[in-house]
Amino acid sequence: MPEATVPFKIFRYKQGQNAGHYDTFDVPIDEDTTVLVALQTIRRDQDSTLMLRHSCHHASCGTCAMLVNGREELPCVVNVLDLRSSPVVVEPLRNIPLVSDLVVDMTDFYARVNPADRPYVRHSEFLPWAQTPDGIDSYSRFENCIECGACVSACPISGTDPDYYGPAALAAAWRVVEEPRGRQPQQALNWVDNEKGCWRCHVAFECTEVCPSGVDPGGKIMALRGELSKQKLRGLFGFGRR
Amino acid sequence: MQETQDLESRGPVRARRPLTAWFDVRRDRLGSWAFALNRLTALGLTLYLFIHMAVLYLLAQGESRWDSFILVVRSPLFLALDVVLIFGILFHGLNGIRVSLVGMGIGVRNHRRLFWILSAIGLVLLLVSAWLVFTI
Amino acid sequence: MRDKSLTHQGPRQDRSGAIWLIQAFSGLLLVALLLLHMVAHHFIVEGGLREFRQVVDYASHPAIFAITIIFLIVVTVHTVLGLRAILIDLRPSLAARRSIDWLLLAIGVAIIIYGIWLEFIIARL
Ligand code: SF4
Ligand code: SF4
Repeated sequence: MPEATVPFKIFRYKQGQNAGHYDTFDVPIDEDTTVLVALQTIRRDQDSTLMLRHSCHHASCGTCAMLVNGREELPCVVNVLDLRSSPVVVEPLRNIPLVSDLVVDMTDFYARVNPADRPYVRHSEFLPWAQTPDGIDSYSRFENCIECGACVSACPISGTDPDYYGPAALAAAWRVVEEPRGRQPQQALNWVDNEKGCWRCHVAFECTEVCPSGVDPGGKIMALRGELSKQKLRGLFGFGRR
Repeated sequence: MQETQDLESRGPVRARRPLTAWFDVRRDRLGSWAFALNRLTALGLTLYLFIHMAVLYLLAQGESRWDSFILVVRSPLFLALDVVLIFGILFHGLNGIRVSLVGMGIGVRNHRRLFWILSAIGLVLLLVSAWLVFTI
Repeated sequence: MRDKSLTHQGPRQDRSGAIWLIQAFSGLLLVALLLLHMVAHHFIVEGGLREFRQVVDYASHPAIFAITIIFLIVVTVHTVLGLRAILIDLRPSLAARRSIDWLLLAIGVAIIIYGIWLEFIIARL
């Protein structure tokens, strides 16, 4: 039995249109309904032209990321009744080209995060026995990144300048520095050492706030800058570059 | 440049305009607030710097011009503006310390704690200086 | 398909890192200098510097004179670089950016020259 009927205000856009608009649908909701399921219900029962992307339904693939009430979320793990809002506003990610309705074109995003000749994203190994050494609170691995694009959507600099590498790609570069595994850390550092890279970030951690996977891209960018700052200051005082 | 065209030819990008992007603080994110305030105070302080330097020219014009100027800025309105100025300086300076450190990779994990500690220091300094402004 | 490799993506290393570091260190220096400035102006003399003669005598003191000029230069650098960062975030075209850089350089130099000139005049009063 549905517990409530909740209106969903959804951003709509189709190729060739000049601008988007919003459609509102009333959706029957019970206590377990997630935003993603509600959207699928709309597509099944009310408007089969509603476009959205999703895959796993449990926050491990990052495919469905979108804005729910203006905040970057994985709608597969957002409970509708928990939102306590009416209507629930659903929009596509910002700062990434729009394909249709809630679907954005992730081509460039993937290209940046995972440059073809240097795969920054690796298979992660599962180490259940790993214990954290003294002085380390917890492990946080870039491989946590599920490439959802939420951070890029939240980043004001990605909104300002489409050429900015964006938080996810920069966090990926830090992983090479942190744990080279045969790759060249200096190459990654040089790649980010410019105005489209880590120096453009304005240190407000919007990306870290919205990341659903605990990657802390903002922190990783600061780590890149820390490393580069050290190198630059050493260079300045004549200790030479490493 | 190439990339920009590429992106935009594929479909509209729902990007925010820079100005709205900077002040997108509705999600009670500490960092965004700090950044927005940092820019606002930056602009305010820049304006003040220009005014300050222009005003000092009055000194060069001799004692009488200076004295009449001092009389004006001793009025309660200007004293209140002084407190606004001190707020701007304190916020921009203390937040700047945090951003400089964090931006060089120092204390990244504790940037929120750093913000609150510096804010507390700032608040005390603001209250003390406001008191001084109106009493001495 | 576009080349996605790192070496072909985006610009090469540039001065933005150095500029950011200058901004950070000039900012930190300003905190110290401003503290000095405030204490000197408001606490050294009972009730703060206000009288014409007091201000002029104070400004003519050689050490204060030197510190003021350093302060002037650092504050100008910090202001100009800060304005540049804000303007760049407004997405100017490449040509506009070049004019912005020149304009800001001119403004910075003008402020410093004006400030030093004023300092000398006041010191001679
Ligand atoms: S911290 Fe930097 S990368 Fe992250 S959202 Fe802010 S500007 Fe973007
Ligand atoms: S860093 Fe986080 S928010 Fe960004 S793409 Fe990866 S998982 Fe998503």
